[in-house]
Amino acid sequence: MPVVLTVDPRSGVPIYLQVIEQIKRSVALGVLAAGEQLPTVKQLALDLTINPNTVSKAYRELERDGVIETAPGRGSFVRSNGVSETTKAAATDVARDAIAAAVREAKSIGLSADEIRSLASAAINRWFREDA
Amino acid sequence: MSTISIKNLRKTYGPYIAIDDFSIEIPQGCVYGLLGPNGAGKTTTFKCALGLARQSAGIVLYDGAPLVPETLEHIAYVPERSVLYDWMTVAEHIEMQRRAYRKFSVSRANELLLQFGVDARKRVRALSKGMRTATMVALAIARESDVLILDEPTSGLDPINQRHVLNLIINESARGATVLFSSHQIGQVERAAERIAVIDRGRLALEGAVDDLKADRKIVEGIFPSESFTLNGLASDPRITRIDRNGRIVRALTSHDAQDVLARLEALGATGLRIVDLNLEDIFVYAVAPSEATADVVEAAQS
Repeated sequence: MPVVLTVDPRSGVPIYLQVIEQIKRSVALGVLAAGEQLPTVKQLALDLTINPNTVSKAYRELERDGVIETAPGRGSFVRSNGVSETTKAAATDVARDAIAAAVREAKSIGLSADEIRSLASAAINRWFREDA
Repeated sequence: MSTISIKNLRKTYGPYIAIDDFSIEIPQGCVYGLLGPNGAGKTTTFKCALGLARQSAGIVLYDGAPLVPETLEHIAYVPERSVLYDWMTVAEHIEMQRRAYRKFSVSRANELLLQFGVDARKRVRALSKGMRTATMVALAIARESDVLILDEPTSGLDPINQRHVLNLIINESARGATVLFSSHQIGQVERAAERIAVIDRGRLALEGAVDDLKADRKIVEGIFPSESFTLNGLASDPRITRIDRNGRIVRALTSHDAQDVLARLEALGATGLRIVDLNLEDIFVYAVAPSEATADVVEAAQS
């Protein structure tokens, strides 16, 4: 696997979530191609110096989310079909959380719903201007 | 391969209670981290588990059976302080271990010592503190045992060799061995351990899977418009383990459902609300914070 994952164990984000997020991102960016083999649980645990069960847990969730598939005795692979929809779903999850946090922050500072909406429109216009 | 069950362990020295009703369950193949302030009872717990100290009450079971002399064949132990003989060479220690333990692998011991950069021809007295730790870890790993109990197995080691010890622990767990270890370097426990227990003044202060503790335990912070506000029973919310108040700012340590706690603070009129992730060090420090001080801040928050 060409991807070098890194984890920050001192972060408050559980390590298995960090592994999941980075593998999803690698798949979304095409760094990990469909059909590509992932390191074994033990190998990734030793590469990152993290608990093997943490890696297993991340792989199980990635399998459940349809990002990877595991063939007994052969290892884990990036799923060849459904890469685009799973990665789109993963990207949507990340964006939804970020937007929810921004709206909560804006509301707690005392902005009204209309004020927040106009800030959001301005941000959308700014980032999509070139595409229009 | 073996599970470890520590049940209602108690150890007293005269009137002093070193361990008080301490219970943990360690599944087979688990890397389990024991954290605690100095003098909390970590080493005493290990000694009771190994039969090196006799507990006043409670029992330690390996695969459901109490410790008998034959069990020790399957348990490798690295004590906190060096138990190597100063006047002997490292190679002589290897020979001693080979005679003492049937499964001891001389080639594995030599391979590990080479990786740590320990010259086996040297006498122990010529080794630095870190090299003595590395030698004890190498001798323990070479036992290929079912259970490893490691008391501060990285003390005195440089960052490269510390990382190497962690990878050896991970490797042992991957082959099915059960590992119980302590370390003051919480970042290492955060990496290698699947579950942790915090022991504080001999009592179990906190126990759980590292990932679950991080996912559940959050600080919820809010700011009130003025310094005179009421928390309306928030301090008695079972999800809140502690509340700190500093002027208009309130910080609540929650054990789960941080979003709901945030909604409660919002309903009380707080703004600037946010949920702060906690790493294991934060979680550890909050777990061992003196309870009297916690009671004080809760009272202050309620007044």
